[in-house]
Amino acid sequence: MDAGHLYWGVDCGSTQIKVVACDGDGKIVHKHIGRTLFPLMEHVREVLSGRDTDLTPLTDDGKTVKDNHTVVATGYGRKHIDFAQGTLTEISAHFLGAQELLQLDGPYTIVDIGGQDSKVIEVHDGRVGQFVINRKCAAGTGAFIEELAHRLEVKLEDLTDLARAHDKEMVLNSYCTVFSGQEVIKILMHGERLENLIQALYASVVQRILEMTNITTETVVFSGGVMNYNPVLIDLFKQALPDNKTHLVENAQYCGAYGAALFARGLAEKQIKRFSQSEINAELTS
Amino acid sequence: MDMKKVMRDYFLDLDQAAKDPERKVAWCTSVGPAEILRAMGFEVFFPENHGAMLGATRMCMDTIPKANAFGYSPDICSYLTSDVGAYLKGITPLTKAYGIESIPRPDILVYNTNQCKDVMHWFEYFAREFDAPIFGIHPPTNVPEVEESHIADVVKQFEELIGVLEKLQGRRMQPEDLQRTCALSKEATDLWAEVLETAMARPSPLSFFDSTIYMGPIVVLRGTEVARDYYRVLLADLKIRVAAKVAAVPGESKRIYWDGMPIWGRLRSMSELFKENQACVVASTYCNSWIFTDFNPQDPLPSMAYAYIKIFINRNDQYKEDYIRKLVGEYEIDGVIFHDAKTCPNNSNSQYNLPSRLRDEGIPAVVINGDLCDLRCFSDEQSATVIEAFVETL
Repeated sequence: MDAGHLYWGVDCGSTQIKVVACDGDGKIVHKHIGRTLFPLMEHVREVLSGRDTDLTPLTDDGKTVKDNHTVVATGYGRKHIDFAQGTLTEISAHFLGAQELLQLDGPYTIVDIGGQDSKVIEVHDGRVGQFVINRKCAAGTGAFIEELAHRLEVKLEDLTDLARAHDKEMVLNSYCTVFSGQEVIKILMHGERLENLIQALYASVVQRILEMTNITTETVVFSGGVMNYNPVLIDLFKQALPDNKTHLVENAQYCGAYGAALFARGLAEKQIKRFSQSEINAELTS
Repeated sequence: MDMKKVMRDYFLDLDQAAKDPERKVAWCTSVGPAEILRAMGFEVFFPENHGAMLGATRMCMDTIPKANAFGYSPDICSYLTSDVGAYLKGITPLTKAYGIESIPRPDILVYNTNQCKDVMHWFEYFAREFDAPIFGIHPPTNVPEVEESHIADVVKQFEELIGVLEKLQGRRMQPEDLQRTCALSKEATDLWAEVLETAMARPSPLSFFDSTIYMGPIVVLRGTEVARDYYRVLLADLKIRVAAKVAAVPGESKRIYWDGMPIWGRLRSMSELFKENQACVVASTYCNSWIFTDFNPQDPLPSMAYAYIKIFINRNDQYKEDYIRKLVGEYEIDGVIFHDAKTCPNNSNSQYNLPSRLRDEGIPAVVINGDLCDLRCFSDEQSATVIEAFVETL
């Protein structure tokens, strides 16, 4: 690996594209975020460049990766990033990112809430053990929060302050986003305060995650953009898990992209231009 | 023997039989008593096979909504809704595949609730629609072990069925006819078991996705010489592949067990996904469901009763756990994928904590959500992520 080589992770999620570049020491030298818009590749290229167009890992035609760069894609859109030299799933990417950032020794559980899915990942002996992803349903995901905020005509950035002004604990019964929307309207019609409803919708997200699987490790790590932008969720998880040690990954929305960048660094040592999925699996299990 | 020709000949003959006043057609569930029907001279049509064709061709995505609007819930068996919807729309995949205009009109419908009770509702609809007689075999369900009383109960029901069939055909059942179909079924099913067992080899010469195609004759042609002959040829071919180390998944590095139904409309993409990841699905609950090695031509009715009660889907959860654990050992499985099919709870074995119990024994297991036919219940992206991540972690 030459000293100037940069390693890129592109986390192409359902709502946002996150990009991280790191150097050979794993130090983050560039990170940028943009909305997942279409045509997808056009927006991916824009996010890769960020504000500094000289920094892009792509050649002038935007189709291939320059010699002193390696790019790995993750996230739901990973297979569509045609210039990426390898892909890995978000499960592995978040694990690699969290492991590097937190350097935890013992077993831990990563809770990652994304735009359209949520994951609970158990890590044992420095490897991913079992994991679960939400069922094909928006409950317990960022989409649930966005949808109900839209229904309540509240800006996403105002949700935290409103929730923190609640004066009553409430429970939303339904785990269907549409039914929850109807439930919310009905409660509002009965004169309930908006602040209490927003707190209840956050509590509902936490409840859905905790229903996915038992958390068996003492340490719990929070990752992903939804956690990063909605600190009320962290408060609620801490309340629900009073005996657990909890950590929020720094820049949690970039954790998957950083994990992919670190993985790119590992792949680059092999001097292969494009990696097959089996080579990637071998790397992950080595 | 060419699989396409075997299936083509079967469907074309069935179509002819339905149009011939001298011949009679029986509809039968996939693990129903086909041997009795064939021994009594019926040509046999299997609506579940038709449902699978509707799924594989994705025609079901037009037909399921039709059945839903007609009053069949989207939450019930999507074979049923695919098939009823196709009938309501007047379409069938048999037209494009074989030039056949419609499904064969039944002279009788025979179901067995050893697999689920939705087949009863399904057949009842068509019995009303065609004004045809219907007969249900209702064995004891979810049994831990098959007992003598269970066998006696089902034998009695078989005998009642034979009485009904004799009236329809105007002749008595000849014992040698039943012995013959039972013997042919046993030969075919024993060969089918051997076919599936070739996947114990490393690398495996076939994957689950191949087997879901190869299984056609054991489902629709049990009790015939054609099925037996087909599996003789297939087995010989697979043995050659094993000897030559021809891999179904080149570079096979992980061996997977698949529990639950196939996702018919995604067979190809699923097969490709596993290939990309050099993971081969070498064993499955589903394809093993047509192994009836207990058939005994010398004692046809009791042995058929035993074999049809004994099937995996009709057993209690402890049996299912033990069965999967045994196959995990025999096939040197690295991990188990449970397909939780939204409309097929009876054949989704992940819902009562079984994956967790396997994990507790050190067997990696994961659940994907989907469906046998209804792709509205399936997310390509999410399933691909779960499967890839699972293989990454094995």
